[in-house]
Amino acid sequence: MIEVQNLSKSYGGIRAIESLNFKIKKGEVVGFLGPNGAGKSTTMKILTGFMAPTSGSAVINGFDVFESPIEVKKCIGYLPEVPPVYTEMKVRDYLRYVAKLKGVEKNKIESAISQAVEKTQLGSVEKRLIQNLSKGFRQRVGIAQALVSDPEVLILDEPTVGLDPKQVSEIRDLIQQLRGHHTIILSTHILPEVEATCERIIIINKGKIVAEDTLSNLSNLRSGGQIVNLRLKRPGEDTEKSLSGIGGVQKVLGKNHEWTLETQSGDDMIEKIAAIVIQKGYGLLEISSAKADLEDIFLKLTYGAEL
Amino acid sequence: MSHSFAKTAAVYEKEVRGFFLSPGFYVVCFLCTAIFSWLYPNILDQFAQSLQTFIFQPDIPKQQLNIHYRVFLPQLNILNLILIFVVPALTMRLFAEEKKLRTFDLLLTTPITSTNIVLGKYLAAISAILGLCFLAFLYPLATSVMTSLHWAPLIIAFFGIYLVGCVYAAMDLFASSLTESAVVAYVMAVIFNMGLWFVGVGVDAVDSPNVRAVFEHISINNHLMGLVEGTIRTNGLIFIFSLIFLFCFLSERVVESSRWR
Repeated sequence: MIEVQNLSKSYGGIRAIESLNFKIKKGEVVGFLGPNGAGKSTTMKILTGFMAPTSGSAVINGFDVFESPIEVKKCIGYLPEVPPVYTEMKVRDYLRYVAKLKGVEKNKIESAISQAVEKTQLGSVEKRLIQNLSKGFRQRVGIAQALVSDPEVLILDEPTVGLDPKQVSEIRDLIQQLRGHHTIILSTHILPEVEATCERIIIINKGKIVAEDTLSNLSNLRSGGQIVNLRLKRPGEDTEKSLSGIGGVQKVLGKNHEWTLETQSGDDMIEKIAAIVIQKGYGLLEISSAKADLEDIFLKLTYGAEL
Repeated sequence: MSHSFAKTAAVYEKEVRGFFLSPGFYVVCFLCTAIFSWLYPNILDQFAQSLQTFIFQPDIPKQQLNIHYRVFLPQLNILNLILIFVVPALTMRLFAEEKKLRTFDLLLTTPITSTNIVLGKYLAAISAILGLCFLAFLYPLATSVMTSLHWAPLIIAFFGIYLVGCVYAAMDLFASSLTESAVVAYVMAVIFNMGLWFVGVGVDAVDSPNVRAVFEHISINNHLMGLVEGTIRTNGLIFIFSLIFLFCFLSERVVESSRWR
């Protein structure tokens, strides 16, 4: 469906992205993850035919984005970082305009608009001027705009930026609903978003792909270890020593009341630690285990060298 | 092809709505009518007076007794001056605002060509100018109630000024495509329009007959004068249409360039 080969783009002397290679199959939901300035938006702009790569190629649906941009654009719905809305237009008029630009057949335009409005729950504001809408609604108008031509590929550049938590979860639900009908590429630097919506993740940093895998495989990257957090009421001076003395504990961090232990994985570790703490009378207030989550992986892969 | 036309039509329709449903355009129309309503009766009155006194001035040139020269020509000169400043106000937002509001991203990621975009916007701009020219045409129309006019030269004259407005629109659209700021686009466009007007001044400023001939050919005023006199010359029309084509083409190149820059 989407095939990117050796894609590079430089602005002046600065390399925004450097020889990216990835493939996306039909119907996949792929998260494009990376810190700010990693080259996410640049990649998306190239995929949409908005700008040309310096070198390399991107093929969507069998069409090269640079050779036949019109064909590519026909099968793409794109939500840029800033929703491209005309503030002086009404929501429905705006969607009609976009539908015409995208070449939706004349007799299907109204039903296409109604569908997009329904999917993004814009019914209550469809006759209002866009300039009077809140940011959340504008963002939804932006998504409706990407959906209106019922494209095969949806490219969403940070779709939940600047929204309140309720709106964020609504947008996530929307993306969940769209799954299956469209191939979706989603860029973000917000991790829970990816965890909630994507099947596959491409992590990009400084213009290069640093990891590309399914969510479950990435989560296992740090398997073989777990982290146990402890909160104690009466820690003694020998606490550190006795904690590190427990079999299976690899590292002990913290002081006074808060402690973090890196241990081997396994349910019995918690049991062992709890037994020791109670036996020593430190006053156990809380004990919990944390799996290495996406956040850790992300930080390790992107900022790892600097930390 | 029909698809391509539909997309140009979509851009055109949106921009025309933008013009005719926005208060800005009507403010401009109001100012134009205010200026004409003040100056036109004056010009007409002067002409009426000179008609009454011409018996006492037997050596007065015949041209001075022609309403086309004494009334409509000054009116068109005023309209020309107005267009120099008003056309940039109409066209300045066509590209600059799209770039600023990032809606340009939308245009560039939908399956339409740069030619569609430029053509749609240009046609919308000249439709708005047609509205302005129609407003100005109301004054000679009102005069026709009081006297009989030769319609053909009058209509050709207005056609001429409309073509000049179309040249301004093409240049100003180009100015708008160059920048993100509507103000910069406006200033640049006014300078372009004045530049075109100053070419006409150049005709009187040079001595060499060859240079003078060149200036005469590229002076839009010269071609306009021909049309005002009711003569349609193909060389003038070709010159005007090639200017329009040139600047529309340049705008198209600028829009297209953002795809590969």
